[in-house]
Amino acid sequence: MSCLLPLICCALMIVSFVLTLVICFQITMKTTTYGLFRLCKIHHAFPSSIDLMHGFSLGSITTYGTIIPQSPSVEIGKEFTATCVLYTAAKATAEDIYWKLKNVTVPKEQYTKINDSAVSVTITITNETANWLLCEKKGSPLNRNQVIHGILLTKGYPPEKPVNLSCMAVQSGQKISSNVTCTWQPGTRDEILKTTYTLFGSLIVSNKSSKAHRSSGYIDFGTFPSFMQLAMWVEVENKLGKVRSDILDIYAADLVKTNPPSDVNILSENNFSRTLLVSWKHPIHVTYVTLKYNIRFCTVGSGDWTEVPPNDTESYKESFRLQYLKPDTEYVVQVRCIHHMGYGYWSDWSANSTARTPEDKPTSKPDLWRVIIPSQVKSERRVQVMCKDPVESNGRIQGYSIKIQDGNWETVAVNDSDLDSRSQERKIIPLYQIPWSDKRRGLIELKAWNSVGESPQASLVIPKLTQEPPSVEWLSWFTQQGRLWVKWQPPNVTATGEPYRSEVTEYILEWVSVSDGAMDWQRERRHTRTAAIKGNLQKFNRYNISVYPMYSGWTGKPLTIAAFLEQGAPLEGPSVKVRRTGKNDAELEWMEIPLDKQRGFITNYTIFFITGGKEHSIVVSTDTYSYTVKRMASNSKYVVRVMASTVQGSTNSSDLSFNTLMYAPGQIEAIVVAVCISFLFSVVLTMLFCIYKMDSIKKKIWPPVPDPSNSTIAKWSPDFTSKADIPKESALGDVSIVEVDVFDRKSLCEEDKAGLPLKKDKYLSEEHSSGIGGSSCLSSPHQSVSDSDEGGDEGQTTASTVQYSSVVASCGYKGQTPCPLPQSGSSQTPSFTRSESTQPLLDSEEHPEGPESQRYLRNPYFGRLPGGNNGDSGDLEDLNQMEMKKQGLALRRFCPLEEDFQQTTPTEEGQSPDGQPGPDPSYMPQLSGYRPQC
Amino acid sequence: MSGHVKNMYPQLSISQAASTLLSLLLVAAIDSMNAGIACRNQQCESHIQRSFKLTRLIHMESVDLLKIYKASQGDLSELFCQMPNNIVPDPNISGLDPSERMLSIYSHCKAFLPHLKRVTEQQRDLQPPSSPLLNNLTTAQYRTSGLANQINCIYQTLFPNLPIPLEPVDGPTSIHPSQNVFQQKVYGCVVLKNFKELLSQIRHELRTIKNQMCKSRTFAYTNALF
Repeated sequence: MSCLLPLICCALMIVSFVLTLVICFQITMKTTTYGLFRLCKIHHAFPSSIDLMHGFSLGSITTYGTIIPQSPSVEIGKEFTATCVLYTAAKATAEDIYWKLKNVTVPKEQYTKINDSAVSVTITITNETANWLLCEKKGSPLNRNQVIHGILLTKGYPPEKPVNLSCMAVQSGQKISSNVTCTWQPGTRDEILKTTYTLFGSLIVSNKSSKAHRSSGYIDFGTFPSFMQLAMWVEVENKLGKVRSDILDIYAADLVKTNPPSDVNILSENNFSRTLLVSWKHPIHVTYVTLKYNIRFCTVGSGDWTEVPPNDTESYKESFRLQYLKPDTEYVVQVRCIHHMGYGYWSDWSANSTARTPEDKPTSKPDLWRVIIPSQVKSERRVQVMCKDPVESNGRIQGYSIKIQDGNWETVAVNDSDLDSRSQERKIIPLYQIPWSDKRRGLIELKAWNSVGESPQASLVIPKLTQEPPSVEWLSWFTQQGRLWVKWQPPNVTATGEPYRSEVTEYILEWVSVSDGAMDWQRERRHTRTAAIKGNLQKFNRYNISVYPMYSGWTGKPLTIAAFLEQGAPLEGPSVKVRRTGKNDAELEWMEIPLDKQRGFITNYTIFFITGGKEHSIVVSTDTYSYTVKRMASNSKYVVRVMASTVQGSTNSSDLSFNTLMYAPGQIEAIVVAVCISFLFSVVLTMLFCIYKMDSIKKKIWPPVPDPSNSTIAKWSPDFTSKADIPKESALGDVSIVEVDVFDRKSLCEEDKAGLPLKKDKYLSEEHSSGIGGSSCLSSPHQSVSDSDEGGDEGQTTASTVQYSSVVASCGYKGQTPCPLPQSGSSQTPSFTRSESTQPLLDSEEHPEGPESQRYLRNPYFGRLPGGNNGDSGDLEDLNQMEMKKQGLALRRFCPLEEDFQQTTPTEEGQSPDGQPGPDPSYMPQLSGYRPQC
Repeated sequence: MSGHVKNMYPQLSISQAASTLLSLLLVAAIDSMNAGIACRNQQCESHIQRSFKLTRLIHMESVDLLKIYKASQGDLSELFCQMPNNIVPDPNISGLDPSERMLSIYSHCKAFLPHLKRVTEQQRDLQPPSSPLLNNLTTAQYRTSGLANQINCIYQTLFPNLPIPLEPVDGPTSIHPSQNVFQQKVYGCVVLKNFKELLSQIRHELRTIKNQMCKSRTFAYTNALF
């Protein structure tokens, strides 16, 4: 127990000590502000006594020294010196101290050792100088450097002196305001440091000051110090210093700016057409400020002010008469005022006051002019007389009096409204339009009148067409400062016997708008060579400008030129069309752009044509309105446009598409013609060949048949009629001799067709007649038509024919037992028996109409060709051959002689192709009537 | 009632005492400045011309001031102005030569200043704060003070070898310590009437002095003003 007691006591003491410390700490925290303040004060007051022993601890931060001065404001461009003082706690000497500007160490050369514990540094402050200046001590090789203290440098410039101080006091009510407002020009440097401006005003009786802005401020004096001298100045101050502007020692009147004069009125007095009486009221009582005035005036709308000479209005007055004004003109008047000695400021101008001067009679001539209009009538012109109001009309022109040559004065009233007549622009008034012979010379005189009186007289001579004075030598134009200028060379006039004076007295510039025909003119003096058009010209509008030299009222010949005030790109492109397209070219045509849409002089046209994505262009002159584009691809699509260009731009036409041709015009026709010619040539050659080889061809086609006419039977005398009759009866059933003409084969058949009904009886009646000319179907016409209408003569002639041969067939007689078709391998072979008769056979001499009959018979042959195409010779031959084949086939059926007539095969009469007995094709009687055989 | 019978309580705070002391120092400074006023070197005609204009302005305003005063005093205002009051300085300018008359002008201006101040204080108790009378009275003081300084400068310019006495030529004017409202209104009206008369006489005197003292100078451009 004896051992535990001391231990317990010790533990209690420790606990109580800790509790005491905690309580003390809490108390310390509650009184921190005051306690720390006191500690700091104590520390600064007695740094050495405390720091040398212990240093200074603030919370967990221990301070080892300080820098003097603390947080200074430093001037840029100047040197600054700071001193670092070490405490003992720093455990360092002056040799251990070094300075840093933020992270950059200041060179040792800038250090100054004051004592063992204080070192100063001098640095030059620049804009780039860091804000923090640190005092550090060197650390051991194992420790880092230790910061002893640091200060924040507030850099800046001292205030600059304000200049150009000026002050003003404006009128307030009926007095001058007690507030004096001043403005000044502050310094040009940036105010890095906070700067204050104070405006001071000093009177003998009092001084005033007020805070001001950077370049302006005001002072309220309570009462404006009228007629007193006062001083005004501005003070500018910041942490680096204070500066004062120059003192503005000023008389109070120099500050005053009054209101403008009030109640400004203008009085227009009759019979005083050139004056106006202006009156006003003083804006402030004379006891405050004695004023002088300034008056200015202008015509309404002009804005060109004219000031009354100041000397005329410098007295203290409230009215003034304006003189030398224009009659019948509305004027605007303004008045302002200032101290009569010129102190202070001019007031603002008063509000506009307007009045119109009374009218006066016109004092200048009307502007007389004419326009010559070509007439339909030969050797005659039409003259349009027109005029403008006199420049000094001095009132509203109510009418004109005009006299032409020796006529009477005539009156032309003008009914324009006041607004028109008083506008600034002088209106053109057409007066007369009269026919005027080319050989007539006349004088036109004109006077204008208003409500007061008449103007001086203007005159104009219209010379004979042959006596017109010469024009100017040349004429050109240019634009300058937005105006159109005309330049010309005066005419070279020599004194001659002409009725006009040779001197040019003036020039008239006339301009006509191409778009709307509006015209105007102006007069220029005789020595003028260059003049600006005074009219209201429109941009992009074409004007025809003419210069007329005037010879004491005589109008000279004009010289005209086209001009633009300003050119632009054409309003639209040319209208393009394709006039012709070819295989490799195309001819384009376009119209000239209307003049009012050209907006400039066309300098050239550019043709663009596009095919296959490639664009080509051709530039042509401005007088070209059609162009043939060559070297184009055939059968290709082209897109074409034409671009019109002026000096200011270009405008394209719309795109136009077309295709070039596959063949050139006429190429197809040439091919067709060539083919036709070739064909024709071949046909001709063929025909010639046929003609040339006709015999051989004929022989091949139609082998030679013995001519019965050359037969001896032709010389047979028909004396043996009885003998003939006998065999006729007997032989007919056995023999049939057919004479076939190559051309009559078919015709015979046809003839038979037509003549069968008629021949039926014939056939029946003569069925027994047989012979070379009558038994055969080919030769049947000679016999069958003997009774017919067509060839009765032949029949009649053949009626006397005699049978000279007989073909003895093994088959039936007269077709009753038809012969089978001659076929190869036929078992039956016809036998031929030569007649011994001397009866004359067909004799051509007995048939004087034979050839005609032959022709007649041939034609039906050709007319019956299949298809009726008898125009084609080639086909004709083919078809003829085909027909001949068919015919041959038919002949083989019905006329066995056709195929083997040289063999004189027996005729298969009366047998149908199918082998059935049919009607007798020639001479056999037909019981069942006629049927076609071919 | 306040103004002339204002009680000064001893329990004034320190700040009030300081401001009062500051005001006194400022007044003293102004007075000292006035005593040793730095007059700009101006020509005779210029000095007198400006003073004449200022006198004319103050006179015009005094006329208006008297009208406003009468209008703002209510009934019997004309009666107030007809009552005799001996404590107001005589407006007549005295002296035989220009220097004496100049001094008399100066003295009268200085003498009227406390009266104007007294009337202003009285009327401040009698009139609403927005009354134009108060403003005009203040302006009258302000301008009169300026006129006195200008007369001083003219005197120094024209008579550089003659000293300006510290006390008015006509002797100090006594101000009655306490007045009732009726007396205040009578007093105020008499002060303003005499003040107007004084200014009228000053105009006349200045015109005369100008013709006498600046005769050799050219006043062509100023003749129009007179």
